[in-house]
Amino acid sequence: MTAQNESPRVPVREGLFSGPLSDLDRVTLAGSRCSSCGETSLGSKTLCANCGKETVRDIALGTRGTLWTYTVVRHRPPGNYKGPEPFAPFGLGLVELPEGVRVMAPIHCDVDKLKIGLPLRFKPYLRKDDGREVVAFAFEMEETEAANV
Amino acid sequence: MSDVVIIGAGIHPFGRFDKSYEELGAAAAAAALRDAGVEWSQIQAAYLSRMYLPATSGARILRRLGSTDISIVDIEAACASGGAALRQAVLAVRSGEIDLALVLGCEKMPRGFMDPSMIYSAWQIELGMSLNPAYWSMRAKRHMHDYGTTERQIAKVAFKNHRNSVHNPNAMYQKEFSLEEILASPLVCDPIRRLEICAPDDGAAALVVASAERARKLGAANPIQIAACCHTIARYSADFRCPADSMSATADNPGPTEVAANQAYERSGLGPKDINCFEVQDTDAFCEIEIYESLGLCALGEGGRLIDEGVTEIGGKAPVNMSGGLISKGEPVGASHVGQIVELVSQLRGTAGKRQVEGAKVALGHVLGAGGNCAVTILKR
Ligand SMILES: [Zn+2]
Repeated sequence: MTAQNESPRVPVREGLFSGPLSDLDRVTLAGSRCSSCGETSLGSKTLCANCGKETVRDIALGTRGTLWTYTVVRHRPPGNYKGPEPFAPFGLGLVELPEGVRVMAPIHCDVDKLKIGLPLRFKPYLRKDDGREVVAFAFEMEETEAANV
Repeated sequence: MSDVVIIGAGIHPFGRFDKSYEELGAAAAAAALRDAGVEWSQIQAAYLSRMYLPATSGARILRRLGSTDISIVDIEAACASGGAALRQAVLAVRSGEIDLALVLGCEKMPRGFMDPSMIYSAWQIELGMSLNPAYWSMRAKRHMHDYGTTERQIAKVAFKNHRNSVHNPNAMYQKEFSLEEILASPLVCDPIRRLEICAPDDGAAALVVASAERARKLGAANPIQIAACCHTIARYSADFRCPADSMSATADNPGPTEVAANQAYERSGLGPKDINCFEVQDTDAFCEIEIYESLGLCALGEGGRLIDEGVTEIGGKAPVNMSGGLISKGEPVGASHVGQIVELVSQLRGTAGKRQVEGAKVALGHVLGAGGNCAVTILKR
């Protein structure tokens, strides 16, 4: 996983991502799909979160989705929050992915542009933490990509 | 199956106090025992509902009332802790092994938002997912989108509950706010505002619970029957109350309030139309609108209409949160549901003063919180 001349990368949570952390372009969210009940949930699992059976396999979740609901967090969250300093209000929402799962995620965009149904894409990013590179994630607006290309 | 009744109820006001949790709890327990006309030495088991207090808090508090060797246990089920504790007392009395128990709810909490590490994983906290009102707000946004519920309707719930609190000496805030003041208060998480959410605080409440037969022998003047006391947690993907990290877009499980309420309706043989007054979890003002629907007071999506039509005001057809709700009382988590029951007991006894719902015969208490923990208790006189 670790390329030469790179500090070791760690995911913000084990089992959250699929693909090589050394190449963020190939990283997606990981999901767990159950062949017994058909449910998909976020993150790698050994038992289905719905039916409890072992009939689950890890899948790579799609990188494009739509905003199902959201809020603007206008108060600094309590605890060890590691967002941008000084604190600025940010979008938080449930992003519906094609696999039938809605993922809770920070939404990186102008908070005034947030609306239900907004097309979004997955955006893994790096954060420095005690000399380590931590892979975290958010979603951003589809048009941001178009504008940057 | 023998009936289980409440023969004593006591409360220490909710708010912020320069007192230890032991003092708060002992005051409420002593008040409930006094109200029941029962000595502490007669109690056969005690259950403490709490979330933030240290281990063996129940024993530490109740020892203040005198030496004892009875079973005293601490019970935790997030915001529904009080329902879980009351249920244990009901089950124990109904089993016939004991016939007189004490249920105490007590909490002493730091100011500000709750300690996130109690319910969130480290990564969720780092990514900014640890603000409870964010989850309530996301539910509100979706409800507004699906059903046209408005910010004004949400504010009306806060207006009603703040106004009711003026007559409740046990509430932390006893102050009326105008609709305009509420709508002008700062957004915490869109669309929920500062005057529309509840704050953690301190408080205690207690109940003396007995078998109907023991209550008769004790000559209890006004026993209140516990017609149902149900506690559930949310089924798979049925509630995205913290700390959900993902939700299914395909599963269609009923929410925890529906599940607990339907259990309670079935066990009591009563339905929402038979109930004269309600105390429910208004952690935020929107939450109350959603609970109208989940409890069956109206159809899905019609909660906003209910508040517009004044149905849930004192004097309306289905009064909700006569006490001022959590928005005014604050939420000392472990004491919250027991405090609701103390309010409802006074409603059924007809001693609620200016908060009184005329002729109330059946009452329902509801709490809902982390993990989709939900309790519904139905009382009858
Ligand atoms: Zn399954």
